[in-house]
Amino acid sequence: MATGGLKEDEATRDRRIDAATGEYRVIAPGQTFRSVTEKITRIVLTPDTPLGWFALFGVGGALATMLMVALTWLFLIGTGIWGITQPAAWGFAIINFVWWIGIGHAGTLISAILLLFKQSWRNSINRFAEAMTIFAVVCAGLFPLIHLGRPWLGYWLLPYPSTMDVWPQFRSPLMWDVFAVSTYAIISVVFWYIGMVPDFGTMRDRAESKIAQYFYGLCSLGWRGSVRHWMRYETASLLLAGLATPLVLSVHTVISFDFAVAVLPGWHTTIFPPYFVAGAIYSGFAMVLTLAIPLRKFYHLEALVTERHIDNMGKVMLATGFIVAYGYGMEIFMAWYSASHWEAFMMWNRMFGPMGWAYLVLVTCNLAIPLTTLWSRKLRTSIGYMFFISIVVNTGMWFERFVIVVTSLYRDFLPSSWGTYRATKWDYMTYVGTLGLFMFLFLLFVRFLPMIPMSEIRTMLPGAKITAKTRAEAGD
Amino acid sequence: MSETKNNLVTTIQPAPMTLDAVRQELKSVKGKRYWRSVDELANTPEFQAAVEKEFPGSAQEWVDPVSRRGFMKLMGASMALAGLAGCTRQPDEPIYPYIKAPEDLILGKPMYFATAHPFVTGAVPLLVKTDQFRPIKIDGNPEHPYNQGSSDPFTQATLLDLYDPDRSQHVTFRGENREWAEFAQEFRQKVASTKDGTGIYFLSETITSPTLARQWKAVQAAYPKATLVQYDPAIAGTVLEAGDLPVYELAEADVIVSLDADFLSGAGFPGFHKLVREYADRRKSPDKLNRLYSIESTPTTTGLKAEHRLGLRASEIPAFAAELAKAVGVAGIEPPAYAWTDEQKKFLAALAKDLKAHAGKSVVIPGLYQDTSVAGLALAINSALGNVGKTLMVSQDAVNPLPFDQFAELKALVADMNAGKVDWLVILNANPIYNAPADLEFAAAFEKAKMTAHLGSHLDETGQNAQWHIPAAHFLESWSDARAYDGTVSIVQPLIDPLYGGKTSHHILQALLDEPGLSPYDAVRQTWKATSYWQVDVKGDFETNWRKSLHAGWVEGTKFVTVSKPPTDASFKGKVPTLSAKDSLEIIFRPDPNVYDGRWSNVGWLQELPKPVTNLSWDNAALVSGATLTKYGLEEDDIVELTVAGRKVNAPVIVAPGHPDNSVTVHLGYGRSFAGRVGSGAGFNAYLIRTSDAPFYATGTMKKVEGKWGVAVTKSHIQDHRPKLFGGQGNGNNSLEADEAISERGIIRYATLAEYKADPGFANEGETHTTTDKSNSLFPNWEYKDNAWGMSIDMNSCTGCNACIVSCYAENNIAVVGKQQVRIGRNMQWLRIDTYFEGDLAAPRAYFQPMACQHCENAPCEQVCPVGATVHTPEGLNAMVYNRCVGTRYCSNNCPYKVRRFNFLLYSDYETESLKLLRNPDVSVRSRGVMEKCSYCVQRISAAKIEADKENRAVRDGEIVTACQQACPASAITFGNINDKQSRVAKLQADERSYQVLADLNTRPRTKYVAAVLNPNSELEATPVEHAPAKG
Repeated sequence: MATGGLKEDEATRDRRIDAATGEYRVIAPGQTFRSVTEKITRIVLTPDTPLGWFALFGVGGALATMLMVALTWLFLIGTGIWGITQPAAWGFAIINFVWWIGIGHAGTLISAILLLFKQSWRNSINRFAEAMTIFAVVCAGLFPLIHLGRPWLGYWLLPYPSTMDVWPQFRSPLMWDVFAVSTYAIISVVFWYIGMVPDFGTMRDRAESKIAQYFYGLCSLGWRGSVRHWMRYETASLLLAGLATPLVLSVHTVISFDFAVAVLPGWHTTIFPPYFVAGAIYSGFAMVLTLAIPLRKFYHLEALVTERHIDNMGKVMLATGFIVAYGYGMEIFMAWYSASHWEAFMMWNRMFGPMGWAYLVLVTCNLAIPLTTLWSRKLRTSIGYMFFISIVVNTGMWFERFVIVVTSLYRDFLPSSWGTYRATKWDYMTYVGTLGLFMFLFLLFVRFLPMIPMSEIRTMLPGAKITAKTRAEAGD
Repeated sequence: MSETKNNLVTTIQPAPMTLDAVRQELKSVKGKRYWRSVDELANTPEFQAAVEKEFPGSAQEWVDPVSRRGFMKLMGASMALAGLAGCTRQPDEPIYPYIKAPEDLILGKPMYFATAHPFVTGAVPLLVKTDQFRPIKIDGNPEHPYNQGSSDPFTQATLLDLYDPDRSQHVTFRGENREWAEFAQEFRQKVASTKDGTGIYFLSETITSPTLARQWKAVQAAYPKATLVQYDPAIAGTVLEAGDLPVYELAEADVIVSLDADFLSGAGFPGFHKLVREYADRRKSPDKLNRLYSIESTPTTTGLKAEHRLGLRASEIPAFAAELAKAVGVAGIEPPAYAWTDEQKKFLAALAKDLKAHAGKSVVIPGLYQDTSVAGLALAINSALGNVGKTLMVSQDAVNPLPFDQFAELKALVADMNAGKVDWLVILNANPIYNAPADLEFAAAFEKAKMTAHLGSHLDETGQNAQWHIPAAHFLESWSDARAYDGTVSIVQPLIDPLYGGKTSHHILQALLDEPGLSPYDAVRQTWKATSYWQVDVKGDFETNWRKSLHAGWVEGTKFVTVSKPPTDASFKGKVPTLSAKDSLEIIFRPDPNVYDGRWSNVGWLQELPKPVTNLSWDNAALVSGATLTKYGLEEDDIVELTVAGRKVNAPVIVAPGHPDNSVTVHLGYGRSFAGRVGSGAGFNAYLIRTSDAPFYATGTMKKVEGKWGVAVTKSHIQDHRPKLFGGQGNGNNSLEADEAISERGIIRYATLAEYKADPGFANEGETHTTTDKSNSLFPNWEYKDNAWGMSIDMNSCTGCNACIVSCYAENNIAVVGKQQVRIGRNMQWLRIDTYFEGDLAAPRAYFQPMACQHCENAPCEQVCPVGATVHTPEGLNAMVYNRCVGTRYCSNNCPYKVRRFNFLLYSDYETESLKLLRNPDVSVRSRGVMEKCSYCVQRISAAKIEADKENRAVRDGEIVTACQQACPASAITFGNINDKQSRVAKLQADERSYQVLADLNTRPRTKYVAAVLNPNSELEATPVEHAPAKG
């Protein structure tokens, strides 16, 4: 009998189970209310900002400045400074828009869906994942505006009561985007803020400087931690989670309509909504990893963001990665099964055309590397490898959007109009600039707001658990 | 504040420059040598500051990556300040609109005047549209028997040439401004002092005006020793310089053979408008198809349109013509011995057989740029076949009133200059320093002329070197006369006063005559009063006839008197030149299809226009076959050094499908240094290797040099390397685009005559070829109650000559974007001619498909615009609301025809004053960030509807003519109301050959194409590739 194997399994399992609660351990053992609060508030309420933070903030600020330069030039001269042309009239701006929006999805999934599913492991990561969502939406939201030929008229996309009685054209998926993204931005910000209110209370109480006391005092909205407050807080969180949950599915579905509604082969596909949503979560989790791994290292948060988190995120990526793989497979299958020449040619061109290299990058980064290795728990719990994978998947997902946008456009129906697409330095500056802007905002968040929800972590501590065992011990 | 203002005005010190310093400064200037003041010339910081203060917006443009545009704008602005202010800007004083308007002027209502474009291959009769007395659109004269309303790219573009901001504006003597009277006086006195005209030389472009010829004869009578030399680089050495051309009547020709004659692609071939019309008329119905054979040395639309095309090296063509003459039974021909390939022999045999079978109903057309023996042989063949008097008319008259041997005369002139015999050399609208044959070393000889004067529209290469320069008036600014291909005389009447006080050759010659001040108007009237032309045929007094002629646009009864009998001796007397060695490299010189001999270098429309066959814009190139490219180890866009007899020039190399091997075609007219802001520096100067003894083709060498040129080709052309599994041919010999377009995509549909007879509905059968059902859209269908505008394009007629595109430029105020923007695919033409090369790229056939907005009834663009800037009108137009467009470009992405054009940058020129006069006031000038596209000329539709409303009637069929339709010499485009079942367009659309491109997408386009039916000779290979759709 292979009892040895079984025993080993049990032993591993044991290590992962909290002896006190009998539940899977989310955070490292030995944490108390005080240690958690200390750890998290100290990052913010310290007068000694680490030098590394300044260094990174400088880099982020410099890149964000570069973005401003690129945008200023763009507004002065026109979108012609980019590589977009005929027939590829969309390029980096739309690719980046979809990429950033996709990244945001993991935050909402973690904060809303996992809350509803009572996945308490999310507690350690949901705050900064939500922050990531908001900053990603900020970066994403920039692009639809700046990619307009006449950005100063961007408000025409809003359904405002114009004196000319002109309304937007409601059949256009771009119109739907406006609603989807703005709703998403609003719900995300509100959800994020509400979640922080108890922590703001803690911060207010622990702050020593007057400014911090006022600032966090204002932010905490008079939070006193009464049972009534907690009750309302929990209800609000659940309601917002309920509101945000459909958004996880709907926002990227609507974004995918930008493509799916068009007639272009390579865009005109019904698989796009689920495949975009899965891709969004895939890339979103990759981004959470990209952020979490350096953060926990830098701020010594290994006890709060444990291997278990990394492992779980790896599993989510594995699952969503396979949905994405299914999407790719279906595109190829339908190209053949539809017997449509347009589809077949598009697929041939995507794989073997002049930009076939992009498809190769996409398959390598999104399928070949992650989906073969993420099965291994050993690799999933290897911090270095997971950081590597997160970068690989982010790259792959960027290329997915590149492939969808560009390779569908540059060789479409009339062969006479075939062209090519080559990004300019302004495209790269804008893209890298939004990475800088994201970094800039995220570092501000890390510095001034509690990046891990103390209140929620505290609920996971053994002391907060009222289980049968503790109840029995207490003699209730 | 006030201080800085004062600074501006007062601190510009007079530049302390001596005359020598000025000359020094001028010498170092590259590009144009305009300068408004000594300050500008000295380029002092004060002056720059002043310019910058005046145009603060322009200052930053210098860093614009699109530097040519930025440069153009800034120059335009600074020139407008000084040069043009007087004629177009409102004065500072208060002014009032007309109290009494000119009698026939209704503001906003255009007026039309008949005139003619005097061109070296024959005048093009015109009807010019003016708005408030500004010419804004040039079109053919619809009543004229020769062109019947059609035009060509050159003629269309002369409009922009009129408003070219770089035209020279002052009479100058050694760089200093003078008056015309000063020149006239000095010239007259000098000539008078010679008594007999010794030492007085004129070098003119080919004289086409009968009045000018008369004036010259008068000058010659007064000064017998004065010498006139005519030189046109595109005419010299051809049969055109003598001008005795047969007039072809293709209406009667069942079989047409072109011996290197490019008669379908542009006005460079005499009689283009008539020949295309008659050729195309026979292509409209499959019942009366003609058959075109083309033997050519460089691929042209004529050859690619032909049923059967044989690519031969230029030197082989005379020998082939001799073989053909022998084969059809011309007596006394002994063709030189040559190792023809089996394919060539087969072609020859089939062709000769077909010609003999169609004796009297066939015609052989010789090319211009061939050895004169080809023309002689062609005439001999035509005579032998009994075609003379049926399909071609021979005339004693010549279109050219003063026939010359241009090369010989020019050589004599150069010799005289070198011998110091030339006291005065007056150059009339010629640019010999740029375009004289390289072996004559004209520029060096020019220095030896004692006094030189140059009449020209631009301060061009010759103008820069001449001592006197006189700005020439444009033909729309001056009186003259000219004869069309059929001999009909048109009076060239001006529509606008000379913008810059230009003069004409008439003025200069008249200055030597008894009445030196006689205006060209009076001179032209004198000509026609004195001659017998209309007094013979038309009764009535002169004034009445004069008015009638001006009104109609031509002088009645001036057609050539043609002889319907063959010339008494049509037998061939010339000598067929010996062939060059088979592996030697031939370099073929041709005038450029866009800028001709270089005279239209500064016309942005023509520079940007993709050339037929190659789709190259903004450059010329060394065109070679794919095999030659490989043989020399080259890639496209590499730079090669071409050498002819020790003279070298560097050129980019590109592939022209169908080009004969071991042969290179170079187009003349590029590489100019003083063309103006648009043309200077574009391409390379092929005149540098063109010599007078081998002006059409020469043997030379080609070798690769370092670097890439960066040509702008507007269409991708990729060889099809796909394996058979993916629908390819597997060998890379074919064009990927064409294989796609002709097979499954059904973009090009055609049949041979036999196939058509077996299955007349071929165009709408097969899987992707069927039109969708109206019920399968989620959106409700539009209903069109009154009018439903539609277009029909005949694929069998279109010869890809590009006239429509230039016409569209003029009508719709389309911007020119510059080479760098074209290179990355941002050209703005609303209409393009898609060219697909069928079959082996070494010997293809091409299909030309004019492609503009299809005005889909179920338009993909309309559904995706988030702001409703592209909307459907009740008449089915897909309208673009520029003011509402925010520029998401989603419409363009979703347009399956990719006909939308986006203003990625500020392409329209808002600053250059002279270009403001050019604009069509009925069409918005589009700003940056706005999408635009073909509107079916909605302004013309509206104008016609307003007229119809006033008269309380429906718009008549044919009342609305789109700009492209109007220009088309082949009448390939028909426009009208498809709700009116009696309209021509409705009938054409109902034709069973009519098909919609990409109909299976359910876009329901309003433009339909009539599928081509070819008439191949069954003895030769019928069709190169599989073209029938999959039968579903």
